[in-house]
Amino acid sequence: MKRISIIGAGNVGTNTAFFIAEQGASKVLMVDIKDGTAAGKALDLMEAGPVRGYASSIRGTAQIEDITGSDVVIVAAGRVRRPGEGREDLYRDNAATVQAIARDIRRLTPGAVVINMVEPIDLMTLLIQETLECDRFKVMGVGGLLSSTRLRHLVSRALGVSPREATALIIGPHHPSMTFLRDTVRVSGIPAAALLGESHLDRLIGEALSAGDTILEMSQRSTAYYAPSAAAATLVDAIVSDSKALLPVSARCEGEYGVEGLAIGVPAFVGEHGVTRILELDLSPADRAAFDKGAAMLKTAHDQLAAGAA
Amino acid sequence: MTKNKVSIIGAGNVGATATYYIAEKVIADLVMVDIEGGMTRAKALDFLHAGPLRGYDVDIVGSEDYAAIEGSSVVVVTAGVARKPGMDRMDLLKINAGIVKQAAQAIAEHAPNAVVIVVSNPLDIMCHVALRTTGFDLRRVIGMAGILDSTRFRFFVAEHLGCALSSVHAMVLGGHGDQMVPLPRLTTVGGVPITELMDADTIARLCDRTRKGGAEIVALLKTGSAYYAPAASAAEMVEAIVTDRKHLSPCAAYLRGEYGIHDLFIGVPVILGRNGVGRIIELELTDEEHKELLVSAEAVRKGVEELATFFTAT
Repeated sequence: MKRISIIGAGNVGTNTAFFIAEQGASKVLMVDIKDGTAAGKALDLMEAGPVRGYASSIRGTAQIEDITGSDVVIVAAGRVRRPGEGREDLYRDNAATVQAIARDIRRLTPGAVVINMVEPIDLMTLLIQETLECDRFKVMGVGGLLSSTRLRHLVSRALGVSPREATALIIGPHHPSMTFLRDTVRVSGIPAAALLGESHLDRLIGEALSAGDTILEMSQRSTAYYAPSAAAATLVDAIVSDSKALLPVSARCEGEYGVEGLAIGVPAFVGEHGVTRILELDLSPADRAAFDKGAAMLKTAHDQLAAGAA
Repeated sequence: MTKNKVSIIGAGNVGATATYYIAEKVIADLVMVDIEGGMTRAKALDFLHAGPLRGYDVDIVGSEDYAAIEGSSVVVVTAGVARKPGMDRMDLLKINAGIVKQAAQAIAEHAPNAVVIVVSNPLDIMCHVALRTTGFDLRRVIGMAGILDSTRFRFFVAEHLGCALSSVHAMVLGGHGDQMVPLPRLTTVGGVPITELMDADTIARLCDRTRKGGAEIVALLKTGSAYYAPAASAAEMVEAIVTDRKHLSPCAAYLRGEYGIHDLFIGVPVILGRNGVGRIIELELTDEEHKELLVSAEAVRKGVEELATFFTAT
């Protein structure tokens, strides 16, 4: 049974444990520096187990040392975005936390595949990979998969069909400027644009990209956490089952899509050891231009923020 | 086939998590109603976004308007304030009775044919509030307690024996409080009573842990109470009703003489189906067990009597 450790037992971390428990058999460890928080939530989840038929075990701890020997580590610590705040503003607050966690992972379980959920996603994913000094494909960020599931929901709802057969790939930095690969937005292989019309699809894409902000504004006190947790659990499932699922993730590129030394959203096959391969697609001129613009923006942010923090 | 509609009143941790558990069963469209409309709509949208990844394709709506529950076949009442550390269930009585009464009035108005599952605490007493306010048939108001208490007991037994959770079944009777009555001789691993698998001291310890199961979580979390296990238990009941599964499990049901208890909601084994409580199973209890059940019932009766003042006052 794979050992999955989740660092941070807030809404995102806890619901990730919850979704993992719902989907198979793993040994899940929740870690939170607040004593009792992870233990209490893990116990509550285990007490749901008999009714839900869980085959997983879930344990909570305040001791980071317990992550030793993990196959997968999910980083879900740090603070979330406040209403109206840009993702970049989070960098300074979260960088120190994330770096300390990455050092712990390096010390305690250096072979683990790491999934980053801390924003800003691409910069934190890179920071973790650089701190670990590990194979670049062992670290992935949850970014595009979240926007992708949101568009799948919107497209299927607009068509009045079940979302299970809907697909949508997305590339670029995890930011409202992310680029959906239009041709991959389909239902059972049928292009959504043909079924909905181009302008309707455009509207839905806009809605999917701003959905995180929509939820934050609606709720006024909490960012989204169910869909982000479901996205992380989907990555865990691909790793645990070594399924090689093609999923949009944030991964460090070394030449792919013309990007060097940055983690950015790309379609990748995900299996037991993390990213097994980044899928390089021929981009349309419009998608290429949008991606390049996003990558340049990310590079600027990285050079300013990461250099300033180092 | 017409789709079933299930509504959840209260979109806090218990209500929202129950919504998710029910969504994953793909048996009904869902409505969450909460006075905090924005937060509730945000959670509904977040659930819908997770749907493509989790494989459920039901509709989920959030609203602050009770009218949204129109036509529901089941309504789950989770609204109420949560227990804080050191707070007894009875401390919650007055605040939550007001909240549940309001919810029950809305159910009577907008979903007069629904089966009502009460989750708000103190549970057995809130069942009375819901029954009196809706004026529904006795079988259509049920409290979620025994499934939760027994799932906790099942986990403790499985953990102690190191066996699969799914191999363990448990029976817990009585009020949903410190005086609930776990029945070890009807708690089994693959049908084998735990009395044959564990010594008496261990069993007593696990029973005690079960009685204090909610408090244990509150003590750990410090700033919250359990919601996954309560939500999963409520979702089980919803499924049994929507699918008419005839699920035999302990629930708080209104007794009229069964077990020698009159006019009181108390946890007993029932058969859950489309119309709510299909039948109450009367177990043959030992004298000791029966005595414990009556003690637990007396504690509930005291709360109900306190409540009577509340009802006449408003």
